[in-house]
Amino acid sequence: MKSEHSRMNIKSVAALPKTYSRLRFLVVDDFENFRMSIKQMLRSFGAEKIDIANNGNDAVQKCTYEHYDIVLCDYNMGDGKNGQQVLEELRYKKRLKHTSSFILITAETSKDIVVGTKEHQPDGYIAKPITKAMLQKRMDNLLLQHEALLPINKELDLENFPKAITLCTQEIQKGSRYKSWCYKTLANLYYLTSDYSHAQKIYDDVLSKREIVWARLGLGKIQMGKQLYPEAIEQFKKVITDNPDYVEAYDYLSTAYEKLGKRKEAQDTLQQAVAITPRAIPRQQHLGELCNSNQDMESAISAYRATVKHGTYSIHDSSDNYLNLGRCLSDTSEGNDSEKAKEYAKEAINILDKAIRKYDSDEVKASANLIESRVHMGQKNEAASRASFAKAESLIDESTVDAETGIEFAKTLYRLDETERAEKMLHKLAQRFEGDKSIINSIEELLDEPVSLSQKIKARELNKKGITLFEEGQLEQAIETFKKALNETPKHPALNLNLVQVALKSMKQQASAQVNIPFLEETLDHVKHIPTQHRQYKRFITLSKKVADLKSS
Amino acid sequence: MAENHTKPDFSMVMASAVHDMKNSLSMLLHSLEMISEELPEEMKNSGKVATLQYEAERVNNDLIQLLGIYRLENNNLSVHIDEHFIRDFIEEQAARYEVLLNSRSITLNIECEDDLVGYFDRDMIAGIINNTLTNAARYTKDTITLKAFQEDNNTVFEIADNGSGYPESMCNAPGKIFKGIDFETGSTSLGLYFAYQVAHMHKQGDNVGTITLENGGDLNGGIFRIRLP
Repeated sequence: MKSEHSRMNIKSVAALPKTYSRLRFLVVDDFENFRMSIKQMLRSFGAEKIDIANNGNDAVQKCTYEHYDIVLCDYNMGDGKNGQQVLEELRYKKRLKHTSSFILITAETSKDIVVGTKEHQPDGYIAKPITKAMLQKRMDNLLLQHEALLPINKELDLENFPKAITLCTQEIQKGSRYKSWCYKTLANLYYLTSDYSHAQKIYDDVLSKREIVWARLGLGKIQMGKQLYPEAIEQFKKVITDNPDYVEAYDYLSTAYEKLGKRKEAQDTLQQAVAITPRAIPRQQHLGELCNSNQDMESAISAYRATVKHGTYSIHDSSDNYLNLGRCLSDTSEGNDSEKAKEYAKEAINILDKAIRKYDSDEVKASANLIESRVHMGQKNEAASRASFAKAESLIDESTVDAETGIEFAKTLYRLDETERAEKMLHKLAQRFEGDKSIINSIEELLDEPVSLSQKIKARELNKKGITLFEEGQLEQAIETFKKALNETPKHPALNLNLVQVALKSMKQQASAQVNIPFLEETLDHVKHIPTQHRQYKRFITLSKKVADLKSS
Repeated sequence: MAENHTKPDFSMVMASAVHDMKNSLSMLLHSLEMISEELPEEMKNSGKVATLQYEAERVNNDLIQLLGIYRLENNNLSVHIDEHFIRDFIEEQAARYEVLLNSRSITLNIECEDDLVGYFDRDMIAGIINNTLTNAARYTKDTITLKAFQEDNNTVFEIADNGSGYPESMCNAPGKIFKGIDFETGSTSLGLYFAYQVAHMHKQGDNVGTITLENGGDLNGGIFRIRLP
C-alpha cells in the first residue's frame, strides 16, 4: 500500500511515539477483552501511561483524582452510565480540561443517541469495529491536533482569554491547518469578552463563504447579547431549518422567546427539542417549569416524567425531579374525581414514595409527605392525608425549616383548612427570608391564591375577561365577572382591587347610582393581609384612600 | 406510572443486535490481528488471514447499511455535517484495508491535498467509502485509487480501480437500481441505494449531493464518485 503520510506532517508524525509516551490515557469499557485490546494497541503506538476504568462511575472517579490527556470511552456499557452520561458528568463537574480530549467509541447511529451525544461535544468519535491500523491513524491525527492546539488550550484552561486570543490570531496568521478551529474559538472568545463587533465580523466572514452552523448560531448569540431578540430568533430559526437536529439552537430560540414574554412559543420550541433528545434532563426540567408556568399540566407531567425516567444514572438525577413530578400530578388530580385524576393521584403517591425511599434527607421526605397529603386530600381521603401530614410535621422544625419546604408546608395547611396556621407560617417565612425576592414572590403567590390549580386557572380566566369587559366599557358585566372570580380566590389582591376600581368608576359614571360604601370596604378588607412589600400594596393604599374620601364626602 | 405493554420496538432490537455484532466483529478482528502476528511469514501472506478480515469488513458494511436503510425508512437517520480534514479521513478508512490489500498485492493510491477540508457526515461517508473499497478490492486487478478534491465548492470523492468496470445498467441510474433488486447483485445494489440516499441528505442551499458510476479513467476500470456540496 502506497499511502504515505501527509507530507506536511512527516516531522510531527515521526515525533508521535514520544507524544504517546508523554500523554496520560484512560480507557473506559465494561468489557475486559475490549479494554485490554485497546490498551495493547495504545501501547504499541508508544503510550506508556494507560489507566483503565470498567464502568462509568469508575471513569468519573478516576478523572476526579487524575488528569488525563486522552479519555477513550465506550458508549454502551451495559447497566450503569453510558458514554454520553460519563461525558455529560465530566463536563458538568468541569473535570475535563480544554487540554483533555474525550473520544467516544461507538457503534451507535440512532438519532437520539447521536444527537444526544453531540450536544456534549466529544472531541472525537471512533466507530466500531476497531482495527489497530485504523485506530493508529485516527489517534495520530487527534494527537497532532492536540499538540498543535495545546498552547491555546492551556490558556483557555487558565481562562486567560486575551492570551488565548493572541495565540489564536497567530495560529491563523501562520496559515495553520487548524485555522477553522481557531476562527471558531476566537469568535467565541470575543463573544465571552463581550467584544461583539469582532465576533460578528468573524461570523459574517465565515457565513459569506458557506452556511456554517456554529457561525449562524454565533450570530444569534451576539444578537441575544445585544438584546435584539427578534433578530436572534431569525438566526436560530435558520439554523433549525437547515439542521433540524441541532438542539442547541432550540434552547437559544426558546430563551429568546422567553425574553420576549412569549412563553407559549418558548414551550413549543423546547418540546420540539426534547422530542429529538428525550434523555437530556436539564432541558426536560426547564420544559417542565415552562409548561407549569403556562399551566399546561399534561405537558409538564410528561417532561417531569422524563426527568425521572432518564435520571437513573445521570448527574442530573435529583429529588427535585421526583417532587416536581409529584407536585404536577397532585395539582392536576386535585378536586377531580375522574378516572384519569385517580390514575394521576396513584402515580403521584408511587413517585413520592420512591423519593422517600431513595433520598436520605429529612427535607425531601417531608416535602414528599406534604405533597402526598395534598394528593390524598384531593381524592377526599382525609385520614390518609392527615397521616402523611403528621409524618411531615415530625420531620420539620418550623422555626428553622428551609423556605421551599416551609412553603410546601403552608400550602398543605391551606388544603387541610388550617388557614390561620398557614398564614402564620408564611408571615414567619417572609420575615426570615426578607431579602430573597424569589422566595417572597412565592410566599405572596400562595397568600394571594391558596387554592387548587383548577380554581386558580378559573379565577385567572375570569379576571382576564373582566379586564376586557372593563376596557370595552361594559362596567356592570365586568363587576359581575370579577365577583365570580373572587368566588374562586376570595383573597386575591389584584382581583379585589380590580373590582374596587371598576365599581368606583361605575358609580362615578352613573351619578344616580347608589354609592355602596360598605361593599367597597368589605372588598378592600380582603386585601388587608398583604405585607408592605407586596406588588399591589401601593394600589391598595391609593384605592383605600379614595373610598375613605367618598365616605367622608 | 403507566406501564407500556407494547411489542418491542423493532428498531431498538435491530440497533442492539447490530451493536452486539459490531462488538463481536471488533473482537474477532482484533484476535485475528494478534494471531496473524504469531503466524509464520508464509502463512501471514497466504491470504487466508486477509480473507477473514475482508469478510468481517463486509459483514460490518452490510450491518451499517441495513441499519442505516431501516432508519432512513423510519426517518430516524440524521446527518451531522461537520468540517473534516479529508486526507486524514480517507487515510483512516484506507487503514482498515491495509492487510487485505497487501495480501492480495493490490496497490492503493491516495490522492488528496494535505489540508483540504470538506463538510460531511463522517460516519455515513465512511460507510460509503468502506463499502466501495470492499467492492473495489473484490473486482480490481491490482490497483485502486482513492482520490478526493474540491470542484466548484463541492467535495468529490472518487474510488477507481482497474477491474472490468460496472455493468452498463448500473451506470445509468445508480441508487434507483435498488427498485429492481435481485439477490445476485443484492449487496451492491443495497450499497448504491444507501450511498444515493446519504448523498442526497447532504445539502447546501439548493445543491444536493450526488453519486455517479462510470467506466474508464486513468485506470480504465470502474469509477465510483460521490459529490457533496
